[in-house]
Amino acid sequence: MTEAQTAEADPPWEGLHGPELFEACLLAARAGNRLAMNRLVRELTPLVWNVARGHGLDNHTAEDVVQTVWLALFSHLDRLREPKALAGWLVTTARNESQRANGRKPAPVPLTDEMAEAVVSTQPAPEAEALRTERDRRIWAAFGKLPQRCQEILRLTVLAGRAEYRAVAEVLRMPRGSIGPVRGRCLKTMRDLLDIEGGSA
Amino acid sequence: MNETRAPGGAHHHDDEALLADLGRILDLVDPPPPGLVERVQFALELEDLDVEVARWERPDHLVGVRSSVDQGTITFTVSDLTVMINLTRTGRCHRIDGWLVPAGEHGVEIRVAEHGSVSTVADEGGRFVLDEVPRGNTQIVISVAGFGHRTVVTPAVVL
Repeated sequence: MTEAQTAEADPPWEGLHGPELFEACLLAARAGNRLAMNRLVRELTPLVWNVARGHGLDNHTAEDVVQTVWLALFSHLDRLREPKALAGWLVTTARNESQRANGRKPAPVPLTDEMAEAVVSTQPAPEAEALRTERDRRIWAAFGKLPQRCQEILRLTVLAGRAEYRAVAEVLRMPRGSIGPVRGRCLKTMRDLLDIEGGSA
Repeated sequence: MNETRAPGGAHHHDDEALLADLGRILDLVDPPPPGLVERVQFALELEDLDVEVARWERPDHLVGVRSSVDQGTITFTVSDLTVMINLTRTGRCHRIDGWLVPAGEHGVEIRVAEHGSVSTVADEGGRFVLDEVPRGNTQIVISVAGFGHRTVVTPAVVL
């Protein structure tokens, strides 16, 4: 029996999670295992999606970015020498593709203490059906008013806090349980926005 | 506004709690679109993955419209190659009129999920026509004429 047949019967990544799962799948994908590729796509598409959406891309442009990033990965698998670097490669490539797609739009507003004012939101309007409480709607509205850089950072922070995306935390040097200065400022701005909105509620 | 006097005290959350709320809300209102993972997986089923990916160029007035297209013209570009297709509904299928720039007798394969693929070759003006193409997740694969192994693919889109 060949390696490939064995792998199909009982994939070597069975029972693995997080970075170990990604590494095992990537090694198998290099050997041409399509199941391993599909597994990586299923596990890590939310990461690429959140980077693209965090750059303010509309749903369809974000979807194109997701497909482009995955095709780029698997058409140049040999370029990724270190399997542990996968999550970081996906984030970096998704950022580059998103910026390219964003090419004609104005540069993101830099993060300042006064940024709470008038940042045009590219987020969808809060959806009343999905968000059932007033508080959730206010949180979503405040998030949409953050500068894009903050939106991307907070999206990645949320993912990095989940066990299966431990690799993201490592890549972005976000030790769990610690909030760096930039994220701290983004969160403070968001709380300020919530307080402003809450004051009139 | 003095925070300590906010009614109910609900206006201040610590960072972890706010991030937890944000994560729950993002999952609710902005998850990857249904079918995206399957479209990526379909796009990756190519035999040879040594390809360049063309980008879907949407005119500004179409930005934000849904990714499935009933009819009209769609343009994809990659570096120096432009792929334009025009869709015409013909019952449960559609006819695809295509135009490749720069012109040349490029190989054209149209893959439709669960329907295999249909192939043709563009004429010397870069034009091609494929009738009765099934609808569904669709990917166009161009073998660029005059290059040893240059293959350009589009993302998988719902046509």
